[in-house]
Amino acid sequence: MSFIAWLKGLQRKRLDDDDFDAEIQAHLAIAAAEKQADGADPRSAQLESLKDFGNVTLTTEAARRVWTPWWIDALHDQLSDVRYAIRALARNPVFALTVVGVLTLGIGLNAAVFTMLKSMALSPIAGVDGSARLAVIFGETSGGRGVALSYADYQYLRDHDRAFSGLFGTSAFKPTFGRGRGARPVWGELVTGNYFQILGVRAARGRTLLPSDEIAPGRHPVVVISDGLWRRDFGADPEIVGKTLELNNFPLTIIGVADPAFHGTTVVYDVEVYISVMMAPDLGFKFGSQQTTPSAILSDRRASVFYPQGYLRPGTTLASAASQTSVLWTELSRDRPLADAAQQLRVVPFWQTPNGAPTVLLPTLIVLTAMGLLVLTIACANIAGLVLVRAVSRRGEIALRLALGATRTRIVRLLIVENLVLAVPGSLLGVLLARRTIPILVGYVEQLAAPESVFFNVGVDSLVIGFAVLVACGSALVFGFIPALQASQVDLVSVINEDASPRGAARGRLRAALVVAQVAVSLLLLVGAGLATRSVEAARRAHPGFDASHLTAITLEVRQNAYDDSQGRIFYRRLLDAARADVGIESATLAEFTPMGFLDTPSRPIAIEGYEPRRGEDLSFMANTIGSDYFRTLRIPLMAGREFADRDDEAGTPVAMVNHTLAQRFWGGAASAIGKRVRDRFGVWRTVVGVAADVKYARIDEAPRPYLYLPFLQSYRSAMTLHTRGAAPVNVLVDQARARVAGLDPDLPIVHARPMAEAMRGAFMLFDLTAAMLFVFGVTGMALAAMGLYGLVSYIVKQSTHEIGIRMALGAPRLSVVRRFLARGLRLGGIGATIGIVAALGVGRLLGRALFGVSATDPISFTRALGLVLGVVIVATIIPAWRAARTNPLSALRHQ
Amino acid sequence: MTLHSSRPDARTDLLHGTLDMLILRTLQWGPQHGYAIGQTIRAQSSDVLQVEAGSLYPALQRLAKKGWVTAKWAQTEANQRAKFYRLTPEGKKQLLREESRWNELVSAIGRVMKAALAPGTEE
Repeated sequence: MSFIAWLKGLQRKRLDDDDFDAEIQAHLAIAAAEKQADGADPRSAQLESLKDFGNVTLTTEAARRVWTPWWIDALHDQLSDVRYAIRALARNPVFALTVVGVLTLGIGLNAAVFTMLKSMALSPIAGVDGSARLAVIFGETSGGRGVALSYADYQYLRDHDRAFSGLFGTSAFKPTFGRGRGARPVWGELVTGNYFQILGVRAARGRTLLPSDEIAPGRHPVVVISDGLWRRDFGADPEIVGKTLELNNFPLTIIGVADPAFHGTTVVYDVEVYISVMMAPDLGFKFGSQQTTPSAILSDRRASVFYPQGYLRPGTTLASAASQTSVLWTELSRDRPLADAAQQLRVVPFWQTPNGAPTVLLPTLIVLTAMGLLVLTIACANIAGLVLVRAVSRRGEIALRLALGATRTRIVRLLIVENLVLAVPGSLLGVLLARRTIPILVGYVEQLAAPESVFFNVGVDSLVIGFAVLVACGSALVFGFIPALQASQVDLVSVINEDASPRGAARGRLRAALVVAQVAVSLLLLVGAGLATRSVEAARRAHPGFDASHLTAITLEVRQNAYDDSQGRIFYRRLLDAARADVGIESATLAEFTPMGFLDTPSRPIAIEGYEPRRGEDLSFMANTIGSDYFRTLRIPLMAGREFADRDDEAGTPVAMVNHTLAQRFWGGAASAIGKRVRDRFGVWRTVVGVAADVKYARIDEAPRPYLYLPFLQSYRSAMTLHTRGAAPVNVLVDQARARVAGLDPDLPIVHARPMAEAMRGAFMLFDLTAAMLFVFGVTGMALAAMGLYGLVSYIVKQSTHEIGIRMALGAPRLSVVRRFLARGLRLGGIGATIGIVAALGVGRLLGRALFGVSATDPISFTRALGLVLGVVIVATIIPAWRAARTNPLSALRHQ
Repeated sequence: MTLHSSRPDARTDLLHGTLDMLILRTLQWGPQHGYAIGQTIRAQSSDVLQVEAGSLYPALQRLAKKGWVTAKWAQTEANQRAKFYRLTPEGKKQLLREESRWNELVSAIGRVMKAALAPGTEE
């Protein structure tokens, strides 16, 4: 049935007004004719028949109503309710504005957090619809470590898998864009030819990569660039297609500009170039392979290239996809047995991608979401209190409506509509607030992540607005329904008798429950905020195993100025000599990785002489390539043996150093490790010459783990960080080091030049972010709760002015009256605090992962929160009670 | 009587239902225009049931909407234009249903009234 037919059907379902009018005219004519036949004169016959007929308009109206669908009727009723509600609220603008304000705050915070959550879990890839439905395949070692699959494995899965409608692969990388002084690192993705097709991303100009760009290694020197790169670095050149750019000194032809909305699939990083995986070896990527030729690297099953991913076929679940891929994996392992391959394949939703930003950030975001909902709960309780107080002053009006025959349902409906009228502007303003706060939040994260360029898919879209409206209306029902139900229970007689004393213990109980709830929830929030703040303090105080003060970190990538290996060696040799010769420099060294970089650096499989690994044991550990004087410069204690020295070069015996945990695990201690031998699984045997104390290699909260050091002179890397230490202020040291680099090669770009303390910022980022957000939530929640508590308690006291008057008139001293109210307030506060503490003890467990150096039952956080909440309760009770007790007993008695 | 979800008031429903039944019954004898339907009901009830135009015409619309009657403009015997309503097969079935329900209702009420009367008939 077509749309037009449906429209016609709709049209027929209306009263034909002209036809109906004609029918009535016919009726009147027949009736008049009959009367005339009975002997009446034409004029009076006409009048008579019209009189007999009755009200023509009403009849037409009734006939019309027959054809109106029932919901239009209902809507009509609702609209009049809405009109009435707006008028009623306009009479009390302070109430309306307060409620809208409180709601805006509550909804705004939640919408902001929801937007972050959305950017991680619900819609993680900007510019791709339904990106949350992507599923990712990765290998898992017996130790539970996620590993990327080789290109050969990917090809086999892509050609044989039937669970996915298509599988693509992508691997984030960070090549140098440009050459010489203006060169800079950018984020890129090495992708398969079907990447853009499966994601459904179009090119704004030129074309995207296609399956025909994935035929043979080294044969597709083309690149798709992002809209951002096109605008920033090419001035939005309309003739961009066909131009050339250089990545890692390798020229590539630009074939297209991606859709402006698309920022790559590497969540959080702003990806700017997309290259066929076939070109990876030419750009210097070996993926851990020992092979040298591009085609050998891409067919090496030991090379970890990427995680295959794609959309599941309709009707396929993750579990069935996992079992189908396992079958393929077994076949693959039988065909080409490989000792150290991943033990099994796992299929997970996109947000669980190993080492992906969502995986890392989600636990934090879930904590934040929970906290946001707590703030909203307080906001709701707050508004419920206001609605309740207002309902009392409207008892007269409600009684009148009841007396005139309105049903209770009708009145409850009216009151709920009133709340919805408040909820809609509240939610819209909340979304606006979120729109304002998200850039602040993102700016904060950008600042923490600098100089990496980050991108969050945090646009406020229909999903966010829908969420806000849903939450607002949900809370309107919650905060409006119970008070409305109570308000509709007005006792007609007492109202008519102008008995103004609050009726029924029920309403008092509801108010008491609101006080208790607000105390409990705000305590929970404050404990959370306190714990988070204390973990940040603890994390900042914690010793990472090295001394970051007066230490610089100058990161270079000599390939950015086209140095080959031997030129690079010479450059770093001269740089180190120059830095050490500088005035005031205590020591200087080189390192491939700086510690406390937040993300784990790649692990490499190693073998240990005389140690037979258990079946499936994962002997892959993180490693660093370092220069001489490394441990002296970073002030990491040596446990045994010696540091690397200049004699540990290509001509010398291959040597290595290990950390204490590794020595302990395989040789039972630092001293016995000296002289033992280890090797890269396929490299030469290296003699252990020294054992260093453990360091926090990636994050402050990591567990001790084995770590391996290789000498720079025996294991060259083109990208290294120069560390210098001196007594001068660290910024002076940074400038000094920067000058040394410029002195050796003015054209070599400096990737980073910063104090070590700044380079470590990433490791604290998550703590800082969580703490900052929790602090905002805690303060907002507490402010809301304080406002609500004060309002409720002082209202209870005000309602008791009469009682106070009687007590005072009977000679009770002012203090005893105040004490009496204080006791009542504290009792409610006490109940709320107890509930809050119990809840906080339970919730603390969930916070566990985000906490550091402070237990989830930290007494200081609990005491502080308790003191603050009870303080607010006391102030909120004493002030109104004192004021009431100061009034003249007579006027208190008279005042109603 | 049935309680339609769109019309929550059961009382009007009863009235509507009865009027609908009377109209359908009247149309059983053949197509009629609105005025004549009113007159027929009035005459057959010996002037007891006076159907007002304000109820009659909305009721006719209701029946037309349900598909129980169809309407067509035609000439009366006195050569006046009028809209004639005719019972559809579906309307006939509805009439039978209404009739049997009505009979049930009447006999049920009758039984109740007789039972209530029996112990109290002393005089």
